[in-house]
Amino acid sequence: MSRRKITAIVFVLFLGMAGSVSAAAPPPIAIVIHGGAGVIESSKMSPERAASYRAGLAAALDTGYDVLARGGTSLDAVMAAVRVMEDDPQFNAGRGAVLNHEGDAELDAAIMDGSGPRAGAVAGVRHVRNPIELARLVMDKSPHVLLVADGAEEFALEQGMALVPRGYFRTEAREQELENARRAEAAPTGKPTTLIAVPGGEYSMGTVGAVALDRAGNLAAATSTGGLTNKHRGRIGDTPLIGAGTYASNESCAVSGTGQGEYYIRQVVAYDVCALVQYRHMTLAQAVHEVVQVKLRRTGGEGGVIALDRGGNIAMDFNSAGMFRGARDSRGRRDIAMYRDAGH
Amino acid sequence: MYAIAIHGGAGAVPRATLPPERERNYREGLEAALDGGYAVLERGGTSLDAVATAVRLLEDHPSFNAGHGAALTRDGAAELDAAVMDGRQLRAGAVASVRHVKNPIDLARRVMEKSRHVLLVGAGAEEFALEEHFSLVPNQYFRTAERLEQLESEQRGERVSDLVPPAPQGTVGAVARDAAGNLAAATSTGGMTNKRPGRVGDSPIIGAGTYAKNGVCAVSATGHGEYFIRAVAAHHVCAAVEYRGLTLEQAVHELLHGILRELGGDGGLIAIDHAGRVVMDFSTEGMFRGARDAAGRREIAIY
Repeated sequence: MSRRKITAIVFVLFLGMAGSVSAAAPPPIAIVIHGGAGVIESSKMSPERAASYRAGLAAALDTGYDVLARGGTSLDAVMAAVRVMEDDPQFNAGRGAVLNHEGDAELDAAIMDGSGPRAGAVAGVRHVRNPIELARLVMDKSPHVLLVADGAEEFALEQGMALVPRGYFRTEAREQELENARRAEAAPTGKPTTLIAVPGGEYSMGTVGAVALDRAGNLAAATSTGGLTNKHRGRIGDTPLIGAGTYASNESCAVSGTGQGEYYIRQVVAYDVCALVQYRHMTLAQAVHEVVQVKLRRTGGEGGVIALDRGGNIAMDFNSAGMFRGARDSRGRRDIAMYRDAGH
Repeated sequence: MYAIAIHGGAGAVPRATLPPERERNYREGLEAALDGGYAVLERGGTSLDAVATAVRLLEDHPSFNAGHGAALTRDGAAELDAAVMDGRQLRAGAVASVRHVKNPIDLARRVMEKSRHVLLVGAGAEEFALEEHFSLVPNQYFRTAERLEQLESEQRGERVSDLVPPAPQGTVGAVARDAAGNLAAATSTGGMTNKRPGRVGDSPIIGAGTYAKNGVCAVSATGHGEYFIRAVAAHHVCAAVEYRGLTLEQAVHELLHGILRELGGDGGLIAIDHAGRVVMDFSTEGMFRGARDAAGRREIAIY
């Protein structure tokens, strides 16, 4: 008998035992999203901007949740939520993504199906409107997991995807951020500002992501980003790397990360959360705390993660000032938050 | 105890199809890389220098699928991936899809040491190479008559790719522990023969094909990369050692013959633990490999 089957049986038994609590209640469905972590403080945010971010997060959260509520798969739910944030210019993914040193958006995305495990990812694409859709096609229609740059766009064309000009992604706000970053770099005291926050553009660590649990008990994760403002052409962060920024397995959990990607890669953050759950038998909250507040902090890596397990447990944790985030489940929870003290 | 292990790819290497003179050629290549890396350790050098040296020698050897003699994409070009990781501070550098860098492992190391990034790909990685004063070589440098032949037969639909020169899955790698106890891992590859341009396998992905963490283990993998990515193979081995207390041998065995087999992926890997114990295991017919340590072990094997 496969490990997966055993896990499934154990899970069914567990549900059976929990039956007295939730007599005929269907298994929970849940979705958790993030829109990036970084210097997100109430003192620096106008009420209008805060409202606009909240509206963007709510749209993504509810779009993803609706897929689950209709009986759709977690894979479709995370993709739908991420697509909404890719299309929203205030988040660093798809349209409105940050710009590299040459002034172009270079986009990365990954998706993982916890029931496979199957995964697809793209990196360094410059003409794909919704990179998360291309990542899904890599998973569904190619034997590969990761395609990069021109080769990934060739695949997009072969799959009948229409490409968009680079100008589609560029917004005035991102052009301004890039200019600030370049100026800071050129300044005599210029330390590498782009790794953390760009002065005047506090949200440059943005990445968007979602994790979900569907009625069939399957977990999925998806992440999409434009990376770092003023990044070196060709630089790839953790987002499209399975195990680093994105991971899902029905045997443990689903995770999507946002933060200083280089640290996430070196610590294999997303997979590490799930390994702690599966092998150290930590709760999801303990595992996320250990990785984000202990391990990442120890090395100086800033950011956060969202995570979800098959019991519908939700974790959203970050060691930065704030993280755009939201969670909704069939037990009636629906939160949207951005600052450290939850509920705001 | 200081020690080093290397691999030159795993795949179907049936004895019958590997003529004696070719086998000798592979063995010589493996020996040169093994001894080159070991000499660094013997001189008191770091494990990082040792793995980089061994991998560079394998990249320069035309029989192995990395650097000169790498497998070719469906367009007939070489597209190279490499990664290096220093177990001391979990520092890492990697490059993917480079076409004009003679020794991708050197560029991966430069990414680790001179950039604030871990992974650079494609034209951007080559731009960085130029900024770092690497001289680029024409793509033709990598192409050998054998690899062209292999590509042509693959494109004719003959499934010969696992044969001579072995392994579309060929990849080269090294892991080492130096006298100070530092672990390091390095991996370099041309990927699969006839691959789609832009396809990146597990080699340059930290945690998938390459991983090193002091006190735990260092791993370099070779095999069907997509499966190694999904299983987060290299980090899985280290997590099994660190979190579950498995021996390195048990952890490697579980990954290759349990998890990856269940997923349908084959390949092999080399690993070394905090004490310098080496494990070399594979689920394919063979794996080009070698190990040498300060206790006097020195072996090269294929089957």
